[in-house]
Order: sequence, then C-alpha cells, then structure tokens
Amino acid sequence: MNEVRKPRDPVTGHIKALAKGFKYLLEPNRMTLDYPAETMKLPPNYRGFFTVDDKKCIGCSMCEMVCPPEAITMVPRIIGEGGKTLPAPEGEKETKGPKRTKRPVVNWGKCIFCYFCVDVCPVDAFIPTQVHDVAFEKDKDYRPSYEEYLKPPEEPYKNAKKVVSKADLKRGVSYEPAP
Amino acid sequence: MSEKIFNIDDLQNINVEGEKYIILQIGPSHPGSGHMRIKVWLDGDIIVKVDPDIGFVHRTSEWLSERREWIKAIPIVERIMLPDTVHANLAYVLAVEKLLGIEPPPRAQYLRSLVAEINRITSHLYGIGIFGIFLGSSTVYMWAFGDREPFIDLMEMLTGARITTSYIIPGGVRWDIPNGFKERAETVLQYMERRLKDYEDIWVKNPVVQARTINVGVLKKEDAISLGVVGPNLRASGVYYDTRKHQPYAAYPNLDFEVPTMKNGDAYDRLLIRVEEIKQSIRMIRQILKDLPEGKIIADQIYNQLNPVMKKNYEEKKRVMFPAFMIHMRPPPGEATAKVEAGRGEIFFYIKSTGDKYPYRFRWVTPSFRNLPFFTHVAVGHRLADLPTIYGSIDYFPPEADR
Amino acid sequence: MNFIPIPLIIWLIEDLLYLIIFPGLVTILVLVIIIIWLERKIAAKVQMRFGPLWVSKKIGGALQSLADLLRYSFQEAIIPEKADKLAFILAPGLMFAFATIALIFIPVGPYYSALFPSYYTILFSVALIIITPIFAIIVGWASDNKFSFIGALREGFLLISYEVPFLLSVVSMIVIFRTYNYISAVQSQLNFLPGIILNPLAALTMLIVMIRTTGRFPFDITEADSELVLGLFTEYSALFFGVGMATPYVELYNFSLIFSLLFLGGWWPLNVNVMNPLYGLFLPGLVVVIKAFIVMAILVFLRAVYPRYRLDQAVRSGWSYVLLLSVLSVILSIVEVKFLR
Repeated sequence: MNEVRKPRDPVTGHIKALAKGFKYLLEPNRMTLDYPAETMKLPPNYRGFFTVDDKKCIGCSMCEMVCPPEAITMVPRIIGEGGKTLPAPEGEKETKGPKRTKRPVVNWGKCIFCYFCVDVCPVDAFIPTQVHDVAFEKDKDYRPSYEEYLKPPEEPYKNAKKVVSKADLKRGVSYEPAP
Repeated sequence: MSEKIFNIDDLQNINVEGEKYIILQIGPSHPGSGHMRIKVWLDGDIIVKVDPDIGFVHRTSEWLSERREWIKAIPIVERIMLPDTVHANLAYVLAVEKLLGIEPPPRAQYLRSLVAEINRITSHLYGIGIFGIFLGSSTVYMWAFGDREPFIDLMEMLTGARITTSYIIPGGVRWDIPNGFKERAETVLQYMERRLKDYEDIWVKNPVVQARTINVGVLKKEDAISLGVVGPNLRASGVYYDTRKHQPYAAYPNLDFEVPTMKNGDAYDRLLIRVEEIKQSIRMIRQILKDLPEGKIIADQIYNQLNPVMKKNYEEKKRVMFPAFMIHMRPPPGEATAKVEAGRGEIFFYIKSTGDKYPYRFRWVTPSFRNLPFFTHVAVGHRLADLPTIYGSIDYFPPEADR
Repeated sequence: MNFIPIPLIIWLIEDLLYLIIFPGLVTILVLVIIIIWLERKIAAKVQMRFGPLWVSKKIGGALQSLADLLRYSFQEAIIPEKADKLAFILAPGLMFAFATIALIFIPVGPYYSALFPSYYTILFSVALIIITPIFAIIVGWASDNKFSFIGALREGFLLISYEVPFLLSVVSMIVIFRTYNYISAVQSQLNFLPGIILNPLAALTMLIVMIRTTGRFPFDITEADSELVLGLFTEYSALFFGVGMATPYVELYNFSLIFSLLFLGGWWPLNVNVMNPLYGLFLPGLVVVIKAFIVMAILVFLRAVYPRYRLDQAVRSGWSYVLLLSVLSVILSIVEVKFLR
C-alpha cells in the first residue's frame, strides 16, 4: 500500500491542484437541485406522508403496537348507520347497525417514517404517498384529528418544476423534467 | 513531533491557569468540536493535555431499547449512528437472528452486503468531507457531501429512505431491488471512480494537505492494539483486522475483496485508507450486483406467517410486510453477540433475552467510543492547529460515542 | 468673483472625487461587495453548487453581499463586559480607516492622484499598508477572549515573518525603476517591459505576501474556524464585525492596485499625455482598477483549491523560502540594472 502514500513534490502538487480547480471552474458540473423552484418526483417506494383507507381499516391496532416512537394513537369511531364512516367495500359483509371501532391517527411531530405500521397492516389499509416536505405552522397541526388525517397530504410548492433525478457520469446526479 | 516536550512534573499545577498554561474549552458550541467538549491545556502553542468531555448527546439508546418490543430497537440504533445506519441496523438484527435461530436466504444476505457497502462509501465520504472542512478546504467538504448524494439516491431507490433506511429486519430485508437499479448503480460507481482521481489532485496529493497531515497524530501499531482502536484507524496503523474477513457475516464470505492496511499510522494514512476502502467497496458492489442469487428475500419462517394480502404484495411489489410475529417476537431465553464492521470501525452488540417481549439487557459498543483514546493519547505534544487534523482524521462522530 | 482661486477648487474637487468616488470609498464599497459575491460564486462553481442566489435571482444573487451588509447594520452590537471597550469599538474602524488611507498615495493615472503629489508615493503607501495589521492585533487583544487572543498572536507572528519579503520585493522594483514614485515606475514600464517580466521573482513574492496579509487561503491562519472559532473577530457582532470582515478585502484592493502599478504596467496599453478629463483622468484609472480586480479574482479563487497551512509552517516558509525568493529578486534587479541598461 505504500505506493499510494508516495508524496507528490510541492511544485507539481500546487500546479495540479490549481489546474483541477480551474477545470471545475470552467466546466458545467452543477449537481444541486434549485429546491423550491424545482422539486423532485420521488421513486414510488419513497416513504413519505401516508394516510389511511377508512374502508379497508379494520381497527386492529397493530399499527399502534408496532410504532417505534409511539406516534400512532387509535381514536374511537362509530361505524355503521349512526357513524360517519362510509359503507364497507364491495364483496364484504355490510355491517348492520352502529358499531364501535378504532381508527389510527398519526402525530406527525413524532412520526419517523419507518413505515413499520404500513407494513404490519394485515389488510394493507395505509395509503403511502411520496410527499415528504410538508411544513407545519402551528404545534396543533402536528396532531391532526381523524378527519384531517384522512385527507391526502398537500404538496408544497405546487408551481415548482417537477424533475426526476438520474445518475450521471459527469455530475453524479442530474435532473430531467418528470414524465 | 510526537516526543513529549514537557516534563511530567509540570502537570502538578496544570489546572491552574496562568503564565505557563492556557486552558481552552473547545466546544460544546464551537465550529471545530462537534457535539462534545475538548478541554485543551496549552503551553504556548503546544498541547500539554487533552481531556475529551463526551456525553452531551447521550440519548439513552440502551434504556429505550430495553423498554420496547424487539423490533422497535431498529430505528433507535439507526438514529445513534446516523452516517452508518445500515451497519447499526445489521448488527442488531444479526444478534436478534442468533437468538431466534433464523437464517436469512442468500439473496437477502447479498442485499444486506450491498446496502452495507453503499453505506460504507457514504460514511467514508462523510468522514473525508468533515476532515476537509477541519483543515479549511470547503471544496472537499462540498464535494464529499455532494458525492454522497448519488449513493444516497441509490439507497433511496432501494429502501425508500435516504439515511434512516430501517431496511434490514430479522429474517431478511424489506424490499427487493427495483427495476433499473443495476444500471444506475453501475453509472454511479463509474462516476465515483472518476471523481476519486479529482480528489487526489485537489485534496489527497495537495501539498498543503500533505504538509498538514504527514507525521501528524502518529499512532504506533502496538499502541493501536493496546488502546483498543478499531476500524480504518486501526488498519492505518498497520494492523490487519477487519470483521468482514475475520468473522464474516452477510455475504462477505463469498465476496472477493482486500483489506487495505497502511504502515505509518499518521493522519495522512488515515485519510488514504478511507480512499482505499471506497475503492474496495466499489469493487464489492460490482461483485454483488453480478452474482446476486435468485430466490426469496425473507426467511421461510417469516414468509409462511404472511397472510394472503401480504403474500400478494410480496409477489407483486417485491415488498416484505410484517406478520404479527414482528410485534410479538419473544426470542427464546439466552444471550447473543454480534459484530459488524461499520464505516468507523467495529460495532459490538450484546443482547440478553429472558423470553420476554422486551430485551432483558441491551448493550452495544460503538466504534467512535473506542476511538476516543486518540484525543488523550495522540494529540499531546502537537500544536493547537493539529488538534482539528487529528480530530478530523479519526472520523469521530460524537453522537455515536455517546449512544 | 475674481478672488476665487479656480485652480485650487479644481484641485479640491479632483481630490474629493478621488477619495470619495473613484477609486476611493464608493468604488471600494462596490468592489468589495462584488468581490465577496464573486468569491462565493467561484467557490460554489468549483464545488458544483449554486452559491448565493435567492436574494436577487435574476442577476445570480449579486445583491447577497449588500443584503448581508444591511443585516450587519441593523444587528444588535454586543460588547462583552470584560472587553477593553474603547479599543474594542475603535480598533475595527481604525483598521478599516488605515487600510483605506493607503489609497491616498496610490495614483491610478498620470494626472489623477490625491492630496499629496509626493515623489515618495511607493514608500508612503507601503508604510501605511504595514500599519493596518497592528490594529488587528489590538482587535484580538481588546476582546478578552482566548480565541481572539491566540488569533492576535498568530497575526503578529505572520506579520513579522512576511513584512521583510514584502519590503524586499518592493525594493527590488524600486531598484529596477530607479524611482520612489508610482507614476514614474509605470512610465518606465510603458517605455520598456511590464515589471512582471522584468522581475517575476518579485511578483511571486508580492503575490504570496498579498495572500498572507489579506488572509486568503492557504494562509487563512488567524481566523482558522476549526480551532479558533473566528479568530480575531470571535466576540464581534453587527457593523463592527462587518467592517472587520471587509477590511481584508480593502487591503486586498490596495495590494492589487500596487501590484498592477508595479508589475502589470499600470495603465498600459494606454499611453496618455493629454490632460483631457475623460481620457486623461478616468480612463487610465479604469484600466488600473480592472487589472486590480482581475488580480483580486485570481486570489479569491484560491479559496476553492486550498486548505490552510499551520502557523509554524507558514512562519517557517516566510523566513525561509519567501525571504530567499525576495532576496533573489533584489539580486536579480541589481543584475538587470547593471547589465541590461
């Protein structure tokens, strides 16, 4: 390994360093994203904000149990005639009469986006999205009510140019307009 | 430089600041300290004594993990070692798998090694970048952090998260490689190989860097062994020891790679060894992508517990969902240890189970903690300006040491 | 109206123009703002990123430095309790003032110079430039902060070790041009060859000293942030900090003017003999300032390439290589004067 250690003599070293810096000064090589003006379209398995499919959820509390930061709380709901919850999906039994059940709500201030809850759900009721850059203005916004939680998360910077990242031999990462 | 140029009797009054000694408190809020305090006694410009004061970011990871279900420790250990998340995750899961008696299938083993090597590259680039800014080169800092990006994008493509991947679970991994991953990885590797030459011109062989690092912070081979230094810093002192070779795990027994070692053990060697390890990691990623075996990515014991919805998801999206077993995991009583070679050195895990749903004892030692003797042992006798050189060259990460 | 001495008024107006508009304070302010922006942009380009952008996106973030200046102006000025308050407040201002005053003795045109049309302008300007770092030491001492104090000590060490090469490189040019006057020096370059060709060793020494004195990389030793927080200016805030941070750039400007006058042929390729307000006064000055700006841009580019040297290495090279280089440059000058002319 001592051949890699061989020091370079100072004159060559200075010239090579300056030449390399100058080369980078002239070449177009920018690899950063102009973030709020351009936003990235993320790969489909990116773990962003997620919401729950009210029809699919069976209120089993598995997500609450697996959540490492204990961000999920199960809120009591009444489904059926008296409750606001929509009827069961097709092919499944219609519930007769009001019934007490539970639904998950995520405290976004605690959530770490590990997706253990999404993966542990026996009916795959969570709806993942790739939205990852929501900002909360008030402390209260971190803890949505169940109705607020059901709404899909809104992406900030809607007017931004959507790009996808691509591996690039010259710049490492380059961005092209999203399809 | 390394000979002691002060008399040990002078240390009697060392705590009295006065004409002879200046006591500098570098940190905890200081651009060159990280999340720790380094107390330095200076005789003129010469360091007489260094006292690293750690614990500012102690996050009770062991306490937290002992009061949670087994699976919940994965995000906790990841957050302690942020540049090395995959290795922490892997080490913990290896220990749990030993308790459970589960052996992951070969494809999962290869995928584990793949993510681990990608993570090692990002970890070394992180170290090189921090070393750069400690010596004042903002270019290397920006370059190294920029060049992490293609690799982090690879991790994101594979695992769905950039840093805190939580990718490895007992019995296997959570996602299979997506379409287009191999081509993208090959482009990124070629890019990195080209960039390493540019790093050589502007950083590694830059005369200023050589003047600052050669023969600074020399740790001799015998000292390195007796102080218990680990990882690249140990290998820079000339000790051939790498957990991937000596106690192989994941797919490392099947991979062909070298463990680079250096002779001098100075800051320059510690810089070079990280560059060499990046080259070895590139070589390993190529092999893994070429030899990736077919098959399941999760052990049969776990797969058989998946319900029909989950199995359908597994077939369609190549995504492993968690059976209820993951929450209610109760490993049989016993003890297990695991060792993993992380970017900064060896992680050691000791876990004891009493058959309960929480670990009875959760103990781990992180590499940065074991590299702590560098400050007290190596920095003495150098100039104040050498302290950042030594700190940067050992790639010390305070939150990791504090756990 | 016959009592008004018209030549005196013209002379006064010219001096005021010189000191306040061009190439005086206003030009300095504009150039410092541009050079700080350019420094960040150059570094950003080499580092594969955007650099300052969002303050004024259409012109590439050029107003970023102005925005920073405004921010410094409205920031609360915190003066540490144990600081030597008078020195703490006065030193940055004096530092800036002395860096600016040196401009009096640097003419940017054959007929365009400030108050003292002296024969010894080279000596006076060099003397004033050398005074500036002394106030840097006062700044470090007044803060009552260990980091500032160490920064001041470092500044002192470097000041002493690089002053002799600086003076010797100027002396070697004085020997070649046989004058203590910038205007004559430039005229003799216009008649023969620019100084950088006549004595490249002196030019190299001068460049190294410029990098050192203005704290560019790789001699960014006094404010080495990884060990000294911010060196001299650790305790400073608000406008004091802004002034302190701008001073090295003013020094850089003076040095670059001197460099372009002594080595780059001054207002070459213009050879002016006419006392025309535009052609005779401002155009040569513009040429000199543009040359100086290019020198400044080259020096700030070094930030993107180099880390910093250690103090002892810098001092050692100051007393060995750079001193040797400057002595050689004097010898080269003497040889040239003896044999070439």
